[in-house]
Amino acid sequence: MNTLREIISFFSFSEPNVKVVFLGSLILCSVSGLVGTFTLLRKRSLIGDVISHSVLPGIALAFIIGQQKNIAYLLIGATITGWISTFLVDYITKHSKIKSDTAIALILSVFFGVGVLLLTHIQHSGNASQSGLDQFIFGRASAMNMSDVYLFSIVGILIAAIIVIFFRGFTLLSFDESYAQSIGFPIESLKLMLSITTVATVAMGVQAVGVVLMSALLITPAAAAKFWTHKIHVLAILAVIISGASGVLGSAISYSSKGMPTGPWIVVVVSLVAIFSAFVGSESGLLKGYQLRRQNNIKILRENTIKLFFALQNLNKTQSRFSLAEVSQNSKMALSSLKRGLNLLVNEKLINKDSSGYEVTEKGTEEAKAIVRKHRLWELYISKYMNLKPDHVHDDAEGIEHVITPEIEKELEELLEFPTRDPHDSEIPY
Amino acid sequence: MIDPSDVAIETHNLTVIYNKKPAIWNIDFELPKGKIIGVMGPNGSGKSTLLKAIMGIVEPNIGYSKLFNQDLDEVRQRVSYVPQRQSVDWDFPASVYDVVAMGRYATKGMLKRLNTEDKKIISESLDQVKMMPFAKRQISQLSGGQQQRVFLARAIAQKADLYLMDEPFVGVDAGTENAIITLLKSLRDSGKTLLVVHHDLHTAQDYFEWLVLLNARLVAVGPTEEVFNEKVLSDTYGGTLTTLSKVANLLKVKSFPMRHK
Repeated sequence: MNTLREIISFFSFSEPNVKVVFLGSLILCSVSGLVGTFTLLRKRSLIGDVISHSVLPGIALAFIIGQQKNIAYLLIGATITGWISTFLVDYITKHSKIKSDTAIALILSVFFGVGVLLLTHIQHSGNASQSGLDQFIFGRASAMNMSDVYLFSIVGILIAAIIVIFFRGFTLLSFDESYAQSIGFPIESLKLMLSITTVATVAMGVQAVGVVLMSALLITPAAAAKFWTHKIHVLAILAVIISGASGVLGSAISYSSKGMPTGPWIVVVVSLVAIFSAFVGSESGLLKGYQLRRQNNIKILRENTIKLFFALQNLNKTQSRFSLAEVSQNSKMALSSLKRGLNLLVNEKLINKDSSGYEVTEKGTEEAKAIVRKHRLWELYISKYMNLKPDHVHDDAEGIEHVITPEIEKELEELLEFPTRDPHDSEIPY
Repeated sequence: MIDPSDVAIETHNLTVIYNKKPAIWNIDFELPKGKIIGVMGPNGSGKSTLLKAIMGIVEPNIGYSKLFNQDLDEVRQRVSYVPQRQSVDWDFPASVYDVVAMGRYATKGMLKRLNTEDKKIISESLDQVKMMPFAKRQISQLSGGQQQRVFLARAIAQKADLYLMDEPFVGVDAGTENAIITLLKSLRDSGKTLLVVHHDLHTAQDYFEWLVLLNARLVAVGPTEEVFNEKVLSDTYGGTLTTLSKVANLLKVKSFPMRHK
């Protein structure tokens, strides 16, 4: 409860430092979501991880050279080693037998190891201004001050401008590099711009998120956004919103619980958004798939049930009303599903129900005929074109009859020249 | 010899070495304008590499190529390249229309907006491959044949004179294969030149007026009726070139330079 109150007080900006943290995380994380869209689309997620771990030695070296915690120096140092690391991964992959996964693991651990080594050295050097340098490992948004935020705004706007201006070039580079090259796009420059903006984004972002978790902030927003849209512009905007919001919320939570690093909280929030998107995302979320399967199952149940009445009527031409027992006798369905199917049909007025049993309506008869027609057309089609024996076609048709659309039905009828008998010599009802 | 003004593509000693091993080796030919030309050869014979080298996508180690007697950069606007369909991730967030619109980037570059003229060309290109009803469809939902049609529409939208197509017939249904060959013929009839990588020997004679037969080195080039014979085919596909591939392998294993200065 206390924490919640703290979070609310964060957003009331009562403490002056809160505004700095809010703006800082918002800028860092939004830029990261934008740049990360292309990291994801170019399938370079692991490169993001290499960069983020490799900025650590740069930060430490910048401190050793400058002997102070000037954010501009640290940013430059971070950018340099970060960029060298991606260059090395690409170079090794291209010019040696080492595959990219090995190169990534190699460079990441070497750079991060050296970073930790240098950091330990600095901590033991007795320089008083070094305190807080280890916060770059897990990130601490609250350590930012207003001049940091100014610097981040300028760099952030520059990065965003590059991405927006060359959006078309980056898109084509990500989708089809050979083609981009064939129409004369300067792909080497585009790649360079993307790698520099990515490195700069990571170098800034480690302030809030830390080197260990920065790649999650780069990739996760775009990955989450991909569950909601198939349009690349919308994807990029959504990724920015998700990462910006997660950044601010994560900082607020960590700010309210004293002594907590920011990075893990931001990553927790953005991961929750990603998990949520994976379940309910409108484009390819799991819930969407579940809904589709449910709809299909209902359609199959409904059509299988109405089909029974076609068989019943043919079996017994004088009778029009059938009891539940009679219907069930002619069906392979479990009684519970049969009842469910019958209820569906009664609701749709395809069959009538009274105390003595069920009677199919005129509309229901037509519907039943349509299913049987599709079933038999399909049987005829596969026995004719796939050389299957007539006794092998029924099971296949049981499944396919529910999928056949009116267009395909028409195609089948024309292809088979409006046949009247199926392979078992039963009549095809029209 | 072809009259110089009728040459669409000329390669001179074109050689590309991948990982120390020559993928194509001293390819030297001239190809005429206004024809549908097939590039054929067994797997790994360097068909795709030849196209990429001509398009400057891979840098040739030795030799050069000219298009319409000029360097690629001077005539890039007149040349359209269709990569292999499988070379891209079709799960990319884009619609059919978006992909075809990329064809207009060839003239528009990275920054200029597409105008109504461009939009008209995009629609016409979609129409030509009968994909207009699918314009808004997300590309991940397309069948293999539809994906290939989208790639062709993108190439058509470039309004080029020369088309280099890498395996446009792979993994497409019979309907699409027919539609594609009809399209290629109509492009040819309007004066375009088409260089098409293909691997099905059965259809070679029907589809192509000229053939380039490749097995790392150039085996034969010329009008189909002249080069499509048993001798050439067994040279291309048979085992007579095993010595060549042995030497190529030696270059790689022993790290010998192919040419030394």
